[in-house]
Amino acid sequence: MKKINVNITRTDNTVSTYQVDYHQGMTVLNILEQIYRHHDETIAYRYSCRTGLCTTCMMMINGKPDLSCQKTAELGKDGNLSLAPLPKGTTIQDLVKEQ
Amino acid sequence: METLTTDVLIIGSGAAGLSAAVYAAQSNKDVLILDKGVIGRSGSSTGAVQIAGLGEWSDPGDHKQSYLNDINVSGRGLSDPQLTTRLAEDIEPRLKQLIDWGLKLDKDEHKQVAISHTSGHSVPRSLSAKKGKTGLGITHTLRKKATNSPHIQTWSDVITVDLIKASERVIGAVVFDLTTNKTYFIQSKAVVLTTGGIGQLFPITSNPVQATSDGFSLGLSVGARLIDMEQIQFYPVSIIAPQAIAGFCISFYHYAKLFNNKEQRFMEIYQPDTLEDSTRDKLSIAIASEIAKGNGTPNQAVWIDARDAIEQVKREFPHEYKVCNDRGVNLAIDRAEIGPAAHFMMGGIQINQEAATSVPGLYVAGETAGGLHGGNRLGNNALSECIVFGAIAGMNAVKEAERATILSVDPSLWKASSEYISHLFSATNGRVRPFQLKDEIQAIMGQHASVIRTTEGLETAEKQLKRVEHNLASIKITNTNVYSRELLDAIEVRHMLRTAKAIIKASLQRQESRGAHYIEDFPQQSETIQHTFINNKGGKLIARSQPVKGGPT
Repeated sequence: MKKINVNITRTDNTVSTYQVDYHQGMTVLNILEQIYRHHDETIAYRYSCRTGLCTTCMMMINGKPDLSCQKTAELGKDGNLSLAPLPKGTTIQDLVKEQ
Repeated sequence: METLTTDVLIIGSGAAGLSAAVYAAQSNKDVLILDKGVIGRSGSSTGAVQIAGLGEWSDPGDHKQSYLNDINVSGRGLSDPQLTTRLAEDIEPRLKQLIDWGLKLDKDEHKQVAISHTSGHSVPRSLSAKKGKTGLGITHTLRKKATNSPHIQTWSDVITVDLIKASERVIGAVVFDLTTNKTYFIQSKAVVLTTGGIGQLFPITSNPVQATSDGFSLGLSVGARLIDMEQIQFYPVSIIAPQAIAGFCISFYHYAKLFNNKEQRFMEIYQPDTLEDSTRDKLSIAIASEIAKGNGTPNQAVWIDARDAIEQVKREFPHEYKVCNDRGVNLAIDRAEIGPAAHFMMGGIQINQEAATSVPGLYVAGETAGGLHGGNRLGNNALSECIVFGAIAGMNAVKEAERATILSVDPSLWKASSEYISHLFSATNGRVRPFQLKDEIQAIMGQHASVIRTTEGLETAEKQLKRVEHNLASIKITNTNVYSRELLDAIEVRHMLRTAKAIIKASLQRQESRGAHYIEDFPQQSETIQHTFINNKGGKLIARSQPVKGGPT
């Protein structure tokens, strides 16, 4: 099975790296669910509607703000999928901002 | 445990909870509204496409009585006439108020409020805001109103663990703040439950991840009565594949055609008069029957073909068209794989027309309340229910708060809740992760409590849920950081298990097929129309039936 390399900026600004199984059409949120279930139970991220309406799953995806439930998981220029919290506001944990 | 006090505590902040807060705050009482996600953005209301309603724009043939008739006919005899009457009476003033507060209804090409037809309504009365993102429009309007009120305090990321009762009254709740891992007792003079539905009890659902049935479980735990919990609406036309949007609702099925794997337009057999423009219960049963017969796709779905009506789809439902297109399903060219997804709990905590429950101090509104929609909720009536009964609950909770006083409370009342939370923090050596328990419940409910049920299947589900309950004691939690998804999952799974048991019990109790409850052993409707009730007696769930008010018809 194809795997992709995912880098996630954590609360303490360190970066955790995961090799995640990848199927065509997976969203960034699908990737995060895989990480929570099979790689790292401490990863914190937020979502709700899964249909691009509530916007609570917004995060930096390969350097740009986007909705993790709508954005297809794609590699950035460095060959990794890079996820980080939005730069503005208080971070509660990992990718979760105070809203 | 730290104690906080408020006059009115509202749990859940979708359209019902926010309405309750805004109307409660019209007094000078203190209102605290909680959400386990983000206030105003984590409920099913967000995804609601349209709202049914009356107003100066209504079709000349539309009025309170025709709306009321449509709801009562759709309810298959199970809608409580007191609740349906209240909805028909109050919808116009509540909508007008929302418009005064800034809600903008979408207009047609003549710059008039656009009204559209929805299956089951005898006249066009569906309204839209933000081009088919009506729930978002309504929650934005209410959220703005709530955050501007000096009497309303909002609190995101806090989940309710237990309601607390003293001298037969609900006096508050034990809550857990996910951002600090602190537990609080919130003492209040009245509590309003507006926690939404049950979609997450099933493997495929249109509902947000937060729809884990918390309110039904909280109500049961303090002795509130649940009505008709077997009546779960499955949204007939939901995306099955691709998995990334599984459960996504397609609203334009009445413009489209459904085909099985033999290229038959099978609705010609099930509903030759209405075809796809049928009510949700009948359509779900038809689709599930086709799939069960082996006439589905390998993904256990059927096909929707909207190509002949694609311009209308793009114009009226641009968000749905775009979401599908973004995931590689271009409805102008492709057909999509659809099937029923768990969508709406029509049963719930029994309320009267004042949104009061059988337990003093406890009010319920929105999807968590039962009795309004009976055996089949009409399309676009969910938001209508939220804004009408949310307001009623808020206003009556305030009246109750004016009568009640805050008494000193014995801390022993929340000892069990406190011990439960401590247990979660010491469950590092357990065996089963919380999400696995959720998966188990979803698999059981998906297999045995979906659109087509059997007595044998429901009995199996009852046994299997006992096993999940047993496994709950061996829960394993290793992440006790703040915002731990494991702690959240663990608290939610306790609510899910309680509600799942109630649904199975109610489904076994209804020995007939009526509305959304289709059971193969009893495929016909009985002549006597009865409600099912579930009560909690000392931790044991008791089911009973009772003829509807007004007796047999």
